[in-house]
Parts: sequence; structure tokens; C-alpha cells
Amino acid sequence: MRIFDKLQHALSTTLKVPAAKITEVTSHEDIASWDSLGQVNLIMALEQAFDVYIDVEDFGELNSVPTILAYLARQGVA
Amino acid sequence: MQHGIAPAAQLRNARLLAMNNTDLDKLLATPTLAQMRAQLAGAGAPASPSQAQRLSAHAKSLEPAPRPLRLAIVHTYTSELLDPWLDLAASLQGLDVQSYHAPYGLALQEASSDSALVLHQPAITLLLLQREDLHPELARPTAGLGTEGQAAVRAEALQRLQEIVQQFRAQPVGQLLVTLLPSLAGPSLGLFDAQSDVSDAVWWGGFKAELAQWLRQSVASTLFLDLDEVMLQVGRRQFFDHRFWYSARFPFAAQAAFEVSRRLMAIGTVMCTPKAKVLVLDADNTLWGGVIGEDGMDGIALGPDYPGSLFVDFQRRILGLQQRGFILAMCSKNNAADVDQVLQSHPHQVLRDEHFAARRVNWVTKPENLRSLAEELNLGLDSFIFVDDSDHECAAVRHALPQVEVVQVPSRVVDVPACLDQVARLEVLSMTREDLQKTAMYAQERRRRELIADIGAEGVGAGDYLTRLGMRMRIQLDAQGHVPRLSQLTQKTNQFNLTTRRYQEQDIRSLAQSADWLVADFALADTFGDSGIVGLALFDVRVPQKARLDTFLMSCRVIGREAESAFLQALLRLLSERGVCEIEAEYLPTAKNDLAKGFLPAQGFMQDGHGRWRLDLRMTPARAATDFPITIAIDAPVAC
Repeated sequence: MRIFDKLQHALSTTLKVPAAKITEVTSHEDIASWDSLGQVNLIMALEQAFDVYIDVEDFGELNSVPTILAYLARQGVA
Repeated sequence: MQHGIAPAAQLRNARLLAMNNTDLDKLLATPTLAQMRAQLAGAGAPASPSQAQRLSAHAKSLEPAPRPLRLAIVHTYTSELLDPWLDLAASLQGLDVQSYHAPYGLALQEASSDSALVLHQPAITLLLLQREDLHPELARPTAGLGTEGQAAVRAEALQRLQEIVQQFRAQPVGQLLVTLLPSLAGPSLGLFDAQSDVSDAVWWGGFKAELAQWLRQSVASTLFLDLDEVMLQVGRRQFFDHRFWYSARFPFAAQAAFEVSRRLMAIGTVMCTPKAKVLVLDADNTLWGGVIGEDGMDGIALGPDYPGSLFVDFQRRILGLQQRGFILAMCSKNNAADVDQVLQSHPHQVLRDEHFAARRVNWVTKPENLRSLAEELNLGLDSFIFVDDSDHECAAVRHALPQVEVVQVPSRVVDVPACLDQVARLEVLSMTREDLQKTAMYAQERRRRELIADIGAEGVGAGDYLTRLGMRMRIQLDAQGHVPRLSQLTQKTNQFNLTTRRYQEQDIRSLAQSADWLVADFALADTFGDSGIVGLALFDVRVPQKARLDTFLMSCRVIGREAESAFLQALLRLLSERGVCEIEAEYLPTAKNDLAKGFLPAQGFMQDGHGRWRLDLRMTPARAATDFPITIAIDAPVAC
């Protein structure tokens, strides 16, 4: 599965929105359930889906699809 | 920024404890909730909320008609992130949890009659509090206060918590669960703390003991759910996730979130499902390793060495369950003499003859034996939990008696001792004197049956048997001290129960305090022993000269001794003296209370056109005490 597809799946299950609403440019401002609680749930989901450990200082950055993809690339997730 | 190896180590740690995808796939293929629960106990917690959601969806597909459980949460740290874990733990028990989270903070405004919390009508209200909510000094290490300062803070903190509990208890908030978040850091004095006279840990232990004593003695339907125990189970490093605590005020790592939820839903299960009362145990490969009929006394695994050591440990844990108030019975395909020999003379057997209320050691099928045990013990099969190692026996019981909960002993022997630890229906929310003495009472019952057999041999009647018992009945009115037991009787009694109305402790307490109600209970003693409190009647007496019998029940432990008639007639005499002329009663049939069907007509009640039963005491006066083979004493109200 492509990284984006996997991310789209993680976002749509965690934030309880249809997958179609998650595009390559979606950010937290576009989705009501992507609030501060949604963000914490999402961090846990990303760790499990991509087998990474996310440091607390990176939490704030991971608030849109592009920044998450960039972060995952830096972590060497292929 | 420079990072050491800690994050990777932490990740590895969490991954080792959490379930992997193979475990997840196996769980998603389990065919029953019982198997799913058993497998999950071994697999560890789900690693993330999304795993929890997938498992929860599978659990829901296995139980099309879950029982609703309304939950309210008052919290001084983030609680909403618990939802996926609560949902999973509930689904695993066949419950459908509907949660209401109060606004963040110590929301005491929720303890009012028109609050959103009260309108949610919770069956359980969970207080997620922190120590510092109880006293500002508790936001810092307490050693600096000195011993006197610590004692003062303890008293003030306890008082504060008592006020909080009382405010919620005054509203219909259901079962109240009080929790206090363990401290993120270890004791402030480090290694020396345990030995210090100003120890944090000792202070905290003392506080919990005082809180427990107050709750036990003075408050109904309130349980201290000790999160320290959760932390002991999962370990401090797996309990907290520092990242989420400092960034989002959510303390729990996945392990802890799931374990807290699992415990909470065990309480929900105890409240919402039929009470378990009897633990029926197989013998071979359950109480000991091997087959007694083939391996013999010296060949079975039971003793200090592996694998006998784990069966000794399993028996010790079963003894603990008996002390909680569960009755033990044995059901084994064996020659009775072989099993007798183990119970009587095996040096390492923990459970002896006196620990079993009844035994079926024969070659009859297990479902048939369970039916006959239910008859002998006078208890419904839905109060049975059946424990057996055999696939075949477990399947046979599941198929023939779906109301019996089946626990299969794990095939990996090292998992055997813990196999009952997470069975939710084996939890208890209160304990009474009767629970501790239950086995002794069943042993007395066995001796009574032997007396009947003797009298039968002498060829005299049942009346003679009752006279020989020398029964003494003690009736108490509006006894506040009996409230937990009386509530328990309404929850547990199914067979001799006219109306099967269930009452929580706070309900009974307010009825006993009200002048509009008469709450009467009785205890019965005879030459063999004391049964404790076994009967309850609730009369609504608000209309002058009339009384409505709302509840009348008696434990089946004392059935067949004319106690139910003696009790009712004594109360009718009392009501007559108080000027009551007319009694109204009802019999509400259930699947189980056929035993009580003929009771009202036998007591002289007549049915009116609306199906209600009436007794006019002017036409049909109450029968005299001398009509019964029981000496009766009535006590005035007993203070709390």
C-alpha cells in the first residue's frame, strides 16, 4: 500500500470521516474532528500504522497530510 | 535536538507488551466473546485506539443485542481519549456503553438534580480525580510537612473527598466509582522512602485505608477503584505515557487505558448481568494435572514442583474466590472413591471436602450433572460458572445450557493459575458477613439433609423434622445496618421472590428511613447454625389502614421450613396492631419464580378483578405465632 493510502486510512478511521475527504493537501482546519483530542488519537494511530515512535516536540507539526508525509519521509518510512 | 536511546527503547517496550498483528488477526477471527476475552487476557492490550476500534467492531458483531450501560465521567484530567478503550472493554462483555463526559475540571455543579450528568441517568458515575484536587499541599511532596503536618493534611484531604462523594451520592448517579490517579513519579524520598517516618508511600497507604473504612461503614453504592493496583499490574513505565500527560493531560498509555477500562466494565458486568454464585470445577487437569483414575495419587501433578506447583497455586486462587462468597461445586467424570482419596489424603490438595457445597463425581454427562447440582443447591443455572479443560465438555455445556458461563482451562499449563482472574462476573462490589460464612451454611444444610434421611428411616413426618431443628427467627425492622445485605438479597433472589424488584443500597436506605415504608428482614438459626439474614419484606404503608406488599422474598437456603409463612404472618400481626386492616400484594411471574406462585393464596389472599391479591385482616386475621415450629422475636429499629 502507498504511504498516502495508509495515511488516508489511518486518518479516516481515527477522525471518523470518509476516506474521500482526506486528500494530499488536507489539514486539521478542514476537518472538525481533527481537534486537539483528535490530534492525540491520530499520533497513537500513526505510531501503530507506521511503526514509529513520535517525539512530543513533533506532535504540533503533524497537523496536515503534507507535514505528516514529510515527517514520515524523514523517519525513513518507505 | 539530541535524543538518547530512550524513545526507541520505550517503543520496543510498548511493542513487546502490546499485541502484534498476528494476535490481532487471531482475535478478529474468534467465534465467541468468551474466547475473545480469554485470548485477549493472554495477548496484552491493543497498541492503539484504532486497533481497539477494530476489535470492538468484531466484538459487537458477536453480540447483536448488547445491554446498554450508561456511564458518566467527572474528570480533572483528559478522559475523552479513554472512549475507544471503554468501548472495547464494554463490547467484550456484551455491553453497549453510552458515555457522558462532564466539562473538564472538578465539576461539582454536576452534582445537582438538573445537571447534564443527572439527566444522562448514569448506571455508573466515575470520578477521575488527582490527589491535588483534595488538598493544595498534595501538589507537592509531603515529606516537608513533617509527621504532624502530614496527619493534618490527611484529615483535611479525606474530609474534602467525603464532601465530594456525598454531593454526588445525594443525586441519582448510580454506582459511584472513586479513583485517584497514582503519582507519575516514585516516592519523593526515593529508596529510603519506605523506611522514613515521613514516607510518601506510607502516608498514601494510610489515606487509602481511612477512605476505605469510611466508604465501607457509611456510604452505599460507592466503590474505591484503586488505580495503584492497575499500576502494579502494568508497571509504572507502562502505565503513564509522559508525552500525552504533559502535552494533553492524558495519563494512560495503551496498557493502562485498557486495564482501567476492563476493570470498569467488569463492574458494569456485575451490575447488568445475572449474579454468578456457583463455581463448578472439573477435577482432572483442572484442580490437578493428569488423571487420578489412571495416574493415581502419586502420579497426578499437585505439589511443590512444576507442574504441580501451578495447580496448587490455582487451588489457592479458587479458595480466594470462595472467600469472596462464591460457592464451590465439583463436577468430574471419575470414580468417586478416587476423588475422595485426593480430597481426604493428598498432602498438597488445598480444596478439601468441606470447601465444596456439593459434588457430582460420576459418569453422567456434565449438563445433566449441572442440572442436578442446580436442583440440590436451589440456585438457577444462570448463576453457574463452569470450569473445565476439555473442549468436548465445554462445548457440550455451551450447547445444552447456554445460560451457564463456561471458562475453559487453558491448554498451556503455565496459564492455568490466572485463568479466572479476569472473569468479570467473579468480581464482587461488596461483601457481607453472610458471604464469608456461605460455605459453612451449605455444610449445615448438608447435615440437615442427613437428619431428614435419618427421620425418614425412623418413619416419622416432616413436622417432626422441623420441630427437631429448634428454629429461632429474629425479625428486625428498618435496620440501617442491614442495608447492604438487603440490597444484595433483592439483587440475587430469583426463585422465592413475589415481585423480583431490584434495589440498590441507597434505595433500601431511604425506604428504611422513611415513615411511609416498613422494611422488615429476618435471620433464622437452628441447632445446626445461623443462616444469617435470608428474608425481606417491603411494605408501602403511606395510606392509613392499608399496606401494599411491594417486595417479599426469601433466600432458597431456608426453603421448606415454613419460615416464609411464619415471617409474613408475624408481620401481619404487627400491621394489625398498628391499625392496618387491608393488605394488597402482587405476584409478578418471571422465568424463575414459579416457586412463589402459590404463596399468596396459601396465606389467605384473594385475587381481585385486576389480578391483584388482597387480604382483609378483619375477615381473615393473621395466624398465631404458635402455629409455626419457630420461635419468633421482633426487634425495634436498630440505629445505624
